Amino acid sequence: MQKPWYSIFYVRSPIVKIGLGILFVLLSLLIVAFQGFIEEPRMQAQTASWDGRSIEIGAELFANNCASCHGPDGKGLPNVAPALHSRYFFTQRLADVGWSGSLGQYVELTLHAGRPSKTDTQWVNIMPTWGNEFGGPLRADQISHLVAYVLNWEEDAVAQTPEEDPWQFFQDALSKQLPYSPDEPGYDQKVAQAIAAAEAAGAVGYTIGGVEAQAPAEGAAAPSGPRDPETLFTSMGCVGCHNLNEPQTADNRGPVGPNMGNLAENAANRVAGEDAQTYVHNSIVNPSAYVVEGYMDGIMPQNFSEQMSEEEINGLVDWLLSR
Amino acid sequence: MAVQPDVEKKGFLRSVATAADDVFTRITAGIDAGEFRRMLRGEPPGRPNPRLKPHSEAFLLHIKPTYYHESVTRFTHTFRLGLLSTYLFFFETITGMFLMIWYAPSPDRAYSDMIYLLSNVPYGQFMRDLHRLGAEMMVAIVTLHMVRTYLTGSYKAPRQFTWFTGVVLLVVTLFLSFSGYLLPWDQLAFWAVTIGTSMAEAVPPAIVGETVNLLARGAPDIGANGLLRFYLLHVLFLPLVLFLFFFVHYYKVVHFGISLPAHEEEVGQDTANKVPADRRVYFLPDVLLDETMFLIALHGHLCGDFGLLLCGAARIHRQPTGNTATHGRTVVLLLAAGHAQNRRQDHCRRNLPGVLLVLLIGIPYLDPNPSRRAKDRRVAIISGVVAGAVMIVLSWMGTPQYAAQAAPAVEVVQELMPEEGAGLVREVGYDEIPVGVYDTRDDLAAMYPEEEYHGLHEILVEFEDSIRMWQRQDPDFNEAYGVLTVTQDQPQLRRLDWQINWLDANGEANTFERHFFLHQDSMYWEEYGLKDFSFLRPTEGEE
Repeated sequence: MQKPWYSIFYVRSPIVKIGLGILFVLLSLLIVAFQGFIEEPRMQAQTASWDGRSIEIGAELFANNCASCHGPDGKGLPNVAPALHSRYFFTQRLADVGWSGSLGQYVELTLHAGRPSKTDTQWVNIMPTWGNEFGGPLRADQISHLVAYVLNWEEDAVAQTPEEDPWQFFQDALSKQLPYSPDEPGYDQKVAQAIAAAEAAGAVGYTIGGVEAQAPAEGAAAPSGPRDPETLFTSMGCVGCHNLNEPQTADNRGPVGPNMGNLAENAANRVAGEDAQTYVHNSIVNPSAYVVEGYMDGIMPQNFSEQMSEEEINGLVDWLLSR
Repeated sequence: MAVQPDVEKKGFLRSVATAADDVFTRITAGIDAGEFRRMLRGEPPGRPNPRLKPHSEAFLLHIKPTYYHESVTRFTHTFRLGLLSTYLFFFETITGMFLMIWYAPSPDRAYSDMIYLLSNVPYGQFMRDLHRLGAEMMVAIVTLHMVRTYLTGSYKAPRQFTWFTGVVLLVVTLFLSFSGYLLPWDQLAFWAVTIGTSMAEAVPPAIVGETVNLLARGAPDIGANGLLRFYLLHVLFLPLVLFLFFFVHYYKVVHFGISLPAHEEEVGQDTANKVPADRRVYFLPDVLLDETMFLIALHGHLCGDFGLLLCGAARIHRQPTGNTATHGRTVVLLLAAGHAQNRRQDHCRRNLPGVLLVLLIGIPYLDPNPSRRAKDRRVAIISGVVAGAVMIVLSWMGTPQYAAQAAPAVEVVQELMPEEGAGLVREVGYDEIPVGVYDTRDDLAAMYPEEEYHGLHEILVEFEDSIRMWQRQDPDFNEAYGVLTVTQDQPQLRRLDWQINWLDANGEANTFERHFFLHQDSMYWEEYGLKDFSFLRPTEGEE
């Protein structure tokens, strides 16, 4: 029988076969040993890679869920939600709330559980519960990605000067100490803000940065008269979700709440039998009565009628419609 | 045997030599040192053949035939595919046990366990790659084994039952591979199980399909129960079935002998078991040596390929939303996916896998042709090749390339930076994508020359080309331009905003926007891509 061309590869001698086998075993061992040699840097690179990916996923989650209140850059919105991208947050917050764990654990807890009991604070929105074990929308792994993202601001945040630090002081957890030194720019401004928060909370004998808070004078009249609608729009937090400059159209929708650039024309046609005035008024005092299609019910605070007087609400409605 | 009289009679050295030879003979189950030496030298056995003894003494050898027909020991007759499949089964069992150490089948832990295995366990990624790629190899080898058997007509009488057990083994192998996909609890897992169990649901009558589906998933939706069930199937039940059928299969192979090359026997005859004395190749030592060396070489190859050259990929954590069209799939899923995509159009095909299976089992009984010679089997071979081609086309239809196309703007971004997986931009990486605004209306290729900006240049050229290509193809996509804005979102984290503007057929302006984040440390790699050893380079700023 004619031998095929590849018969030159045939090995006949058992000794040669065994020799080749041993060679291959040694080669395999060599490869495995080489693997062992580079395992340490490989594991480090993999760890860094997965941490990096975690931050990427956290960034996406933050942009979709958190940025509307905490700001796209995490610097918070006045009276809507506190800053996270803040030197105070990274250096002093834990001491002021008396938290003994790490900042990561603190953020994780806050995300999982939210702050459901904080119903009467300077912040218009209550931090919702995010963990799905408590009825929120996010899984535990998604929350850990968010924590990784928030903590990744640290390097940038701790380098902020007091002037750059967007922190807005809490009235229910007064700062025990300022994380700034007096020779940094904006120090006095931060002292004044901390004192203002203490005064608003009615704290007596509170001292920070050498300045003492003044208790509200006896019998001093509360600020009289209705507040200015433009101020209300910011301080009540409307600005966090409603854009006044963009019109609300089919292909230009506000991401969290409808845009208000063309509120006057939209409001008149939303609910049959309600003119623009009534519709906007109802939407403020009872947001769930009518929710524009495509938006979620329950995001807009339900207690504006307690936070503003009837006169103020009417002023706000007129101002919104006349813009 | 008393020691002292023995030494007195034969002398000390001879006694020790006899005792050593005795031990050697026990270890080799009947081959003494002298016979072993003759084996190594390639000398023929004496008569009666002393090399048959281990077959009756050793458990592992008692299932192997003592000799083979010379014609079937030629590599090109069987390609040793059966041996290879068996080897891969044990290979998968051993690497699988390493993975089991680090894995808990719970939705809370499965994915993070896998990440932990990859990033904190020495040899963890190596073991996972070996297991994963070994599994795909096993599917391929078992399929090739079946193709070989079909082409040489070896399924014909008296081997019909051997063929049947082989089909069972093929199906179990496919199920093993399929059930393994769920375990990382990642995106691929989610789609794999969605497709797989919905195929199970199509089994008629409805009550059977729904029950099978419910039993496999453990709940109407795949969750913790489904994961546990698929895990137990994967590590216990299916290997057990495979183990059992392997022995039945192998017993039948030995029982009937490996069929000879068709031209060496008369049509309708089966002389595999009547081996003339001069054509015998004994298992010991020739076949054993060849098989062992073949496996050692293959093992070295596996370690080398999968340890040094290739790498598997880990995907993102399971998200119950997303678009199937954009997900890459691996070998075993392709057919299923192609089938699933087809099924939407044609309900008659929903039972295709079941029909195929029955046909496959029935082949030996349906084929009336007694001849195993290729020239007598034109119909069988041509229909086999056609069936194979159909399967390949169906599988190919399951690949993302064939998936329903999205709008051009979506496709452009998807190609550069997919929702999931790597893509050019992620492979180029953070360091080569500086902060800035890149507008395809400018001459980007000239502004960012290749010599200076390799990665960025490549991305921008691809971006421009892809938009241009879609403009030519789609009448609804005119005067298009894209803007890529890269901003620093956080330390070590950049945000890439993709914006594509175009005019549709009516001249109306449209915009598509999509953003992604990219971290400096995150490494992305292509599935089955070449291994990336860049982590061995010291990073900048490191002494």
